[in-house]
Amino acid sequence: MIPDTLKTKLKRRVAAAITNREAAIDVMKSLQAHYGWLTDEAVQEAAEIVGLSTLQIEELATFYEMIYRRPVGRRVIHACDSISCWAMGGEALLAHLSGHLEIKVGETTADGAFTLLPCCCLGNCGEAPTMMIGDTIYGRVTLESALEILKRERGEI
Amino acid sequence: MPKLIIDDITVEVAEGVTVLEAAQSVDIPIPHFCWHPALGKAGACRVCAVKLLDGPIKGIQMSCMLPAQDGMVVSTVDPEAVAMRQQVIEWLMINHPHDCPVCDEGGQCQLQDYTIACGHGLRRYDGKKRTHLNQDLGPNIEHEMNRCIQCYRCARFYQEFAGGTDFGVMGSASRVYFGRFEDGELQSPFSGNLVDICPTGVFTDKTARFRARYWDFDMAPSICPECSLGCNTTPVARYRELLKISARHNDAVNGWFICDRGRFADKKVNSFDRPRVPLVNGSSSGWGDAVDAVAKKAAEFAPGSIAVVASSRLANEGAALLPDLARALSGAKLCFFSNEVICRASITAASQITPHMAASLDDVASADCIVIYECDLRQEAPMMLLAVRQAWRKGAPVFLVGKGAPLEQAAAVSVEAVDLDIIVEAPIGIFDRPVIIFSTMRSSAAEIKNLMAAEAKFAPLFDGPNGMGMAKLAAANSTISLESAVKSGLIKGIITIECVIADELRGEIPIIAALDWQMNSSVKNAGVFLPTTAWVEMNGTFVNNEGRAQQFKKVMAPGIPVSATLESGHPPRIHSLDVPGGEPKPAWEVITEIMKRL
Repeated sequence: MIPDTLKTKLKRRVAAAITNREAAIDVMKSLQAHYGWLTDEAVQEAAEIVGLSTLQIEELATFYEMIYRRPVGRRVIHACDSISCWAMGGEALLAHLSGHLEIKVGETTADGAFTLLPCCCLGNCGEAPTMMIGDTIYGRVTLESALEILKRERGEI
Repeated sequence: MPKLIIDDITVEVAEGVTVLEAAQSVDIPIPHFCWHPALGKAGACRVCAVKLLDGPIKGIQMSCMLPAQDGMVVSTVDPEAVAMRQQVIEWLMINHPHDCPVCDEGGQCQLQDYTIACGHGLRRYDGKKRTHLNQDLGPNIEHEMNRCIQCYRCARFYQEFAGGTDFGVMGSASRVYFGRFEDGELQSPFSGNLVDICPTGVFTDKTARFRARYWDFDMAPSICPECSLGCNTTPVARYRELLKISARHNDAVNGWFICDRGRFADKKVNSFDRPRVPLVNGSSSGWGDAVDAVAKKAAEFAPGSIAVVASSRLANEGAALLPDLARALSGAKLCFFSNEVICRASITAASQITPHMAASLDDVASADCIVIYECDLRQEAPMMLLAVRQAWRKGAPVFLVGKGAPLEQAAAVSVEAVDLDIIVEAPIGIFDRPVIIFSTMRSSAAEIKNLMAAEAKFAPLFDGPNGMGMAKLAAANSTISLESAVKSGLIKGIITIECVIADELRGEIPIIAALDWQMNSSVKNAGVFLPTTAWVEMNGTFVNNEGRAQQFKKVMAPGIPVSATLESGHPPRIHSLDVPGGEPKPAWEVITEIMKRL
């Protein structure tokens, strides 16, 4: 259950939207921030707040790769595997992250710090290869700088 | 009007018509999955590729997405277009399980047809296929997601066309999944259309699963008997058993769809308990003796003391003979309706309405204002609700007038309606094409007369598939309701024709004879019972709510289904040279037999 204060805030967000549906992503992201991932309970709550059915929330939740319908680590690494990043070494970067963290793509490290996910385009093609950790975007990532970034991100936790 | 050339044939079509439809209009078939006449285009399947050789646009184009334009030269047979379609279908088939032998769609599958039509005959992909878990969608619809080719027809129909909210499309890319949030029965009253609209076997009719192949079907064009709208259907039977019912296309009436009530209604036709042999005083009898018994018993009654009672279930062919039967029974009272209020309301609606004033379902769908007056369309005419939604989607306001018109009906198709207490609050006058929907079962004759003075089209609803036909015949002949006939105290005996009479209305008056195909209290209490055929077992005509006479054809011969089993688990043993349970005859034939003996 989310606290009433958050619920009231989100209902106000929906009321300010021209159509309910356009507020759905904001609501889902807030609930995700609260729970850590978008739990089944959160889907029910989002449906009630936005005024859509649970199915309609699920449609949106499962379409967007930054809404997590399964538990994730404290930070999620989105490493781009789309065309520009792939051409600039994105594949090697993803494999390198996977090897260093000792997890497969889609898995979470044993300490719960990181979840590694591929993603298709972060809109940062000019800075390929690119990845995003939490809300921070990193461009022109090399195999060496990737480990630096991980260290820094881990230190912040 | 754009004029274009498709495969050397000159075609002229209306503005806005797509190249795909233009080709169809001259019988050039172009494979397509996502495009559907009722849903329009989605551009999702990429299989309708054609090549434009000359004109304003050139090269490979999706014919469903492209409005026809003047000067276009289109080829459906150009090698490049053919190669494109072949490769697209191969790609659509990558994850398909090739399980046609165990799929109910096999033999009537668009995916089979177009896979072959597009020339994809050899599977080259030997990688791992994407697979899904299926959901339990309730007792009516079987789900098999692995067969999906992502045309989006189901989700577009369910949410956009029918306003359902509990089924849709989840995931993205190769993980696209059509289903519900969790297992459970589909909530839309139109969910069964997923079976018809899916171009492959993702959704199949669970009630008839694994029962027959398309080429085994006994089928014929028919009309739905569940309400007065007269939706066009194709019932399917095999081995004397009605298996399933699917929608039959008719743009003026039901379009491409039917409601779940019409599709999944309890199949009483198949019931082993259904009365199938003539009975005299409860014992089985031959046809000749039974009809003789009716004539003999009727002769014992004084002139004018018999009531012949029918209901709106009766087809026109039988109903039209009833005035003659009443005369032959020395002036029997003729009752086409039991209830006095409904009788007067039905006759008023049927007599006042002209073809110009009557709104078809298509008129309702294209109305610019809808008034639902004191009725609940979920109960009385579900497909009318679907038509109302189409009007609402195009911008028509929907007014629900009176306590008898609950808001929940609008919610069932996600329509935002305005709740009003009285009809004068609805601003009908400011619209060009308003339609008022009302029910002869909920509104009195005086109310209806008042309503029909408005400048609008009207969609009256009646109490059965032939309600309008019965009301027209009732008005044209001297008839009264059974209620007032009984009140007069003159009635001493009743003959029912496909009609159930409430016990409190009948009182002590005996039922001389009952003609019916369903088991009910009239049949149980009748001195003589004569079995009639159900609508799927005969040819006939129903006049629907707007006054449209529609024929239905014989789908199957009457008889106990071959699959029938007794409680012991054995099929019934009936030693006869005739078809067991094959005695029922159409009501008109039975009525004629009775008249011959009077």
